[in-house]
Amino acid sequence: MREKHATWSALFAEKRATLSSYFLRRVAHRWDAQDLVQEVYLRLLRIEPADAANIRSPEAYLFTVAANLVKEHAVLRQQQPLGSDELEQVVEQLVAPTNLEADMDSESRQQRLAALIDRLSPKCKAVLIMHYRDELSYREIAERMSISTNMVKKYIVKGLAACRQRMAEYE
Amino acid sequence: MNEPTNFDAARQARRITEQAVNWYIEQQEPLSERQRAAFLDWLRASPKHVAEYFAVAQMHGDMKAAASLKQLPAAELVERARRDNPIVMFPHREKAMPEPRHEQAARGTRRLQLLAGAASVAAMALLWAGLTHRHTAEARPQQAQVQHYASGNAAQSLALADGTLIQLDRQSEIDVRFDDHYRRIEVQRGHALFDVGKDSARPMLVNVGGHVLQDIGTIFEVRRDAGGDTLTVISGRVRVLDAQNSSSKGDELPLPGVAIADLTAGQQIELDASGVSPVHPAQIAQATAWLPAEISFQHETIANVARRFNAYTSTPLQIEGEEIAQKRISGVFHADNPQAFVAYLSTLSNVRVIRDADRIRVVAAHPVQTRAAHL
Repeated sequence: MREKHATWSALFAEKRATLSSYFLRRVAHRWDAQDLVQEVYLRLLRIEPADAANIRSPEAYLFTVAANLVKEHAVLRQQQPLGSDELEQVVEQLVAPTNLEADMDSESRQQRLAALIDRLSPKCKAVLIMHYRDELSYREIAERMSISTNMVKKYIVKGLAACRQRMAEYE
Repeated sequence: MNEPTNFDAARQARRITEQAVNWYIEQQEPLSERQRAAFLDWLRASPKHVAEYFAVAQMHGDMKAAASLKQLPAAELVERARRDNPIVMFPHREKAMPEPRHEQAARGTRRLQLLAGAASVAAMALLWAGLTHRHTAEARPQQAQVQHYASGNAAQSLALADGTLIQLDRQSEIDVRFDDHYRRIEVQRGHALFDVGKDSARPMLVNVGGHVLQDIGTIFEVRRDAGGDTLTVISGRVRVLDAQNSSSKGDELPLPGVAIADLTAGQQIELDASGVSPVHPAQIAQATAWLPAEISFQHETIANVARRFNAYTSTPLQIEGEEIAQKRISGVFHADNPQAFVAYLSTLSNVRVIRDADRIRVVAAHPVQTRAAHL
């Protein structure tokens, strides 16, 4: 199990963003997200201290547990969107997401998010857009804005938190 | 106040979001062993944390697409950010000019200068001199309605229309007046904690005696008592500015003056008729000790947190074992619900909780060898 976990971690590091949005999309449509969270949480609580120390990436672990639960649940309900027991297949599907409904959803979500970005302070907004749209590094942004890289990071965190709080109001 | 209020809930939700985003961003670099353990502890502290982490991950996946919908070139974004410089005034209605105590050359950036000023006592006028040009004094609309809030013998939580949450201690009074261009609050007396809702088009100005505070997305606490006024910034930033003489009635806005102080999270300043103290680090726990409903702590040892809970309960928590006692944690709990805190402690690794009749003991657990990996 642990070896698999290590492989998965490496894979995960590459596909991080896609992966999380992948299973969250699946969850949104196929399973109550709250059930998933409860179940993930219980599994986290059951980790023994000795095992906890061996988890190389708690985040990868978190998403792996979640992805597996989604899969198990799908099997239980005989929806079988993944078609196999192999985790690797999850990743293959990541590359070519096919759920049209989910795609439309994500488009409206992105527009909502774009509107929220406009409501941020000019500094937060500038930092977020340069980072996510123009893919500038913290250092590059820091130079342009005449602030420290640490401040850039703070603006990113602040901006994301503000957006997330407002997204939560839609939910 | 034995029930969680809206104020507490919203504040807690906000805090969890911030923590989730922080952890998410931290993962861009490999975590240290300690960070990994802390992250796992955080996840295991509450299902709310897990849910929020997923939500942040999902939103983050949309960020590139959302940001790419924006047309403004980077140079223009930077320029707009540079022009955005929110400010607050210290009003002076008397002839006396401010008496400089410290002066410090302005650096290339727009960092504030620390310039202590003598502020007159009764001045009520306040001024916002940000570079949002569309709001000039002439353009002010008709008088806003004033809402008066007085807490009487019980502490009170207020949720204002703009999302601002205010916690009033007993025997505290504030006036609230919002119009199209400003959100203004005057603290008449007592303790008030502000968790300011965001509305960049309408700055929030808080008047405390002769002083005015302005903030952007901040939590701060104001105390007015016989000993003078104290401002404590819990998170975010508050700027204080000097103002020039006000021409007429207390409700008019005076012209801009000089920045007096800039406070960030964890800082405190004393304000009184003769001026302001230097900015100094605040004991946040102390400054917010009057908050009735919750116990909130940042990077505090478990031993100290337990002590704070023990003021509220007849079955005290006893932390046994130096390692547990000295472990530092952050969080918010309802002061009248030490059980929640105990439940949290029991989720930490190597911790075991023993409930005796007259006390709750928290002891080190003996690590058990097991192979289970719940994947």
